[in-house]
Order: sequence, then structure tokens, then C-alpha cells
Amino acid sequence: MKRLLSHPWLTIRAQIALGAIFVVAALPKIADPPAFAHMIYNYRLVPSSLINISALAIPWIELLAGLALLLGVWKSAARTIITAMLAIFIVAISINLGRDNAIDCGCFNVADRGKTHEQRIFDMKVDVVRDLGMLLLAAQLWYAGKREETP
Amino acid sequence: MNLKTILQTAALIVAGIIIALVANAFASRDRKLAFSGLYPNALTLPARALPPRETSVPPAVASGTAAPATETIATAAIETAGLNPAAQNPAAPMTTSAADGGSPKRSRPPLVATTTTASPVSPNPHSPAPTAGAEDDPLKRFPPHPDKPYVEIALADVKWLHGKNVLFLDARRTSVYEQGHIAGARAYSVWESDIDDKVRKLFDERSDPREQALPIVIYCSGGDCEDSHMLAQKLWGIQFNDVYVYKDGFPDWQGHGGAVHTGANP
Repeated sequence: MKRLLSHPWLTIRAQIALGAIFVVAALPKIADPPAFAHMIYNYRLVPSSLINISALAIPWIELLAGLALLLGVWKSAARTIITAMLAIFIVAISINLGRDNAIDCGCFNVADRGKTHEQRIFDMKVDVVRDLGMLLLAAQLWYAGKREETP
Repeated sequence: MNLKTILQTAALIVAGIIIALVANAFASRDRKLAFSGLYPNALTLPARALPPRETSVPPAVASGTAAPATETIATAAIETAGLNPAAQNPAAPMTTSAADGGSPKRSRPPLVATTTTASPVSPNPHSPAPTAGAEDDPLKRFPPHPDKPYVEIALADVKWLHGKNVLFLDARRTSVYEQGHIAGARAYSVWESDIDDKVRKLFDERSDPREQALPIVIYCSGGDCEDSHMLAQKLWGIQFNDVYVYKDGFPDWQGHGGAVHTGANP
């Protein structure tokens, strides 16, 4: 089982999938930083002074980490960033689910799609499940990396 | 995690930040962000949108003419900390300038939104009933309210004010504005980097305190859209004391057949 979980066949696919997802997720945010700033604001978790700089920096960090995973360079750093980001996204969406603050997650699309409160709450639950799935992929990369380092 | 991973992680983050700053420097006006925005309610949860109350205000009959029907009551909105200078002193601060012969001149306040909270807390009926001789004067029917950044109004009042050529500001993104906006409205997106310049320009345009007291209507997309409220707070922060937020916004206006223009011009 341990050998299966850290098998290069699985690792390379997890790496490409996670890298590609992060690259794709970064592009609409890079294309429209003000819309992403609006999304961050809607979370009501980020102090006013950090909203704009987060909206500018997060997508590029996402893109670089995704590209690093895709290209197989600085893999350890890339999976660290991606794991941290996924954890932050899951916590942020979960907090807002807990407070019934219906928001668009802004994960892959930063346009306001005019959804109802109920639709947004449902989508937020789906987003948490999806991010947990991606976290599992990241966990596989960590596990395979550890096994690689162990002689 | 070893030192190499930590250094590489830091390098990726720093590279991301640097590229972001460079990209922002070369971004077009409506894609650019100011490094630090002012969002007074960034950590305050929005109150769930309540349907606007519909009540009837008996039309006042004065001077033999029927007053315009007013069937809406605005839901109110604001619990403020009273930080607007004019809120503490409705007469607005005046300074005397020796250079202009000692004529009173309004001081130019810093461009900051100074409210701390703006969650709808309690209904505060507005929609003033017309009084004799006031039917056609927007200022008399919608007098300044220096104690709060904005008052929410609904379609009937908005239409009335539109008919009086009151200034309308569209707080949605410029790209959305260009697809269609209330005829005569100007694009004032709170999320774009030039918003402070636009607000400053408006302040300069209306430098006379009497002009600053004229009503301004702001709208966005209705529903839970807060952009119009944020813009209202910005204006209130620089002493515009007669700002109205069209709660149901552009979709409502369009749905009721209001005049719409497309393109970059009002």
C-alpha cells in the first residue's frame, strides 16, 4: 500500500493535475485584479489594508507554484505553497459557511454571477469538498516526497 | 522542511509579489488596483438584504397641484460613528484665505472614508413628504442628512430625482457600465484605481458648499451589491451630505423601462 501511494505513476499525475488546476485558477484573477479584490472583500476576513495587495499577489503566487509543479522544478516549495493555500481557502470558506455569509469563492471565476443565497451556500460546500480533494492530492505529493528523501 | 525548501518557498512568494507589482504598474486603468484600498466594512458581516418596505405617503396637495406620488420608503441604513466633519458640524468647516481676499473657502478634507460601520441596522423612513412649494425642489424634498452617509431610496424617488437632472453615479465596474447604465450617470467604480481621483474631481467640481449639498444618487447592481454604499461612504467622508443609494439598482431601473445609455459616456 505504501509503495502504491508513493508510486511515481500516481505522483506525476497528482503533480500535473494540481499544477494545472492552480495555473487555470490563477488566470482569471490575474486578468481582473479589481474583481478578485471584491471577492476577497466579500469573505470579510481580510483587513482593509491587505485586500488589494492580496488580490494582486495571490494569483501570481498561485501561477508560479502551479507552473513549478507542472514543470517539476522546486517541487517541494511549490507543494508547500499549494498546501498552505488550500488550507487557507478551506478554512476561509468554512468560516463563512459557519456564519451563513453566502459568497462566490472566486476560485476559478471572479465575475459576479448573480446567484441566490442558497445557490452560493451550496456552491461553497462543493468548493470545500473540491479543495479537500485537492488537499489529498497535495498530501500524496508530500508522502511521495518523504519516501523519496528516505534512503 | 529543510532550509532549501524554505528558501525556495520564500523565493516563489517574493517573485510572485514582484511580478504582481510590475504587472499592476502596466495594467490598464480599469484593471489596476491601488496598493492599499479603504474598505471600512472589510471585517464586518453584511446584514441579510431585507425587502424594501412599501408604504404610502399621502400626497400633499399644495398650491392647487398634485404632488408627485411617493410610494416608497427607503430602508435606512447606517449607524455611523459620526466621523464626518459635517456630521459634527453641519455648517461644514470654513477657512479664511488671505490670498483670495478673505472670502470664506471650504477646506479640502483628506480623501478617506471615515465610517466604521455601515450595516443596515434599523429602518429609518426617509422619502420626505412634499411640503408646500417644495414639490419641484430636490433639495427641499431630499434635504441633506449630515448624520449618515446615505439614505436608501427606491424606484419612485429615483425616477423623480432623475427627472430633476440630479447627478447619478454608477458604482459598478466600468466594463459593466459601458454595457448599459442609467442615462446621464457617470462611471464611479469603487474597485478601480482611479476612484479617488474621480471623487476628488467631483469635490473640485462642487467646491461650493451649496453645490455639495445637492442630492446625488448612487446605484450598483441591486441585491446584495454594496458598491454603491461604499461609494456613498467615500463621498460622505469628504462632506457630500445628501447622497442616496438606489437600493434595487440598475436591474430594477432597466426592468421598469428607465432610460438607459450604453458606452463610455454618460
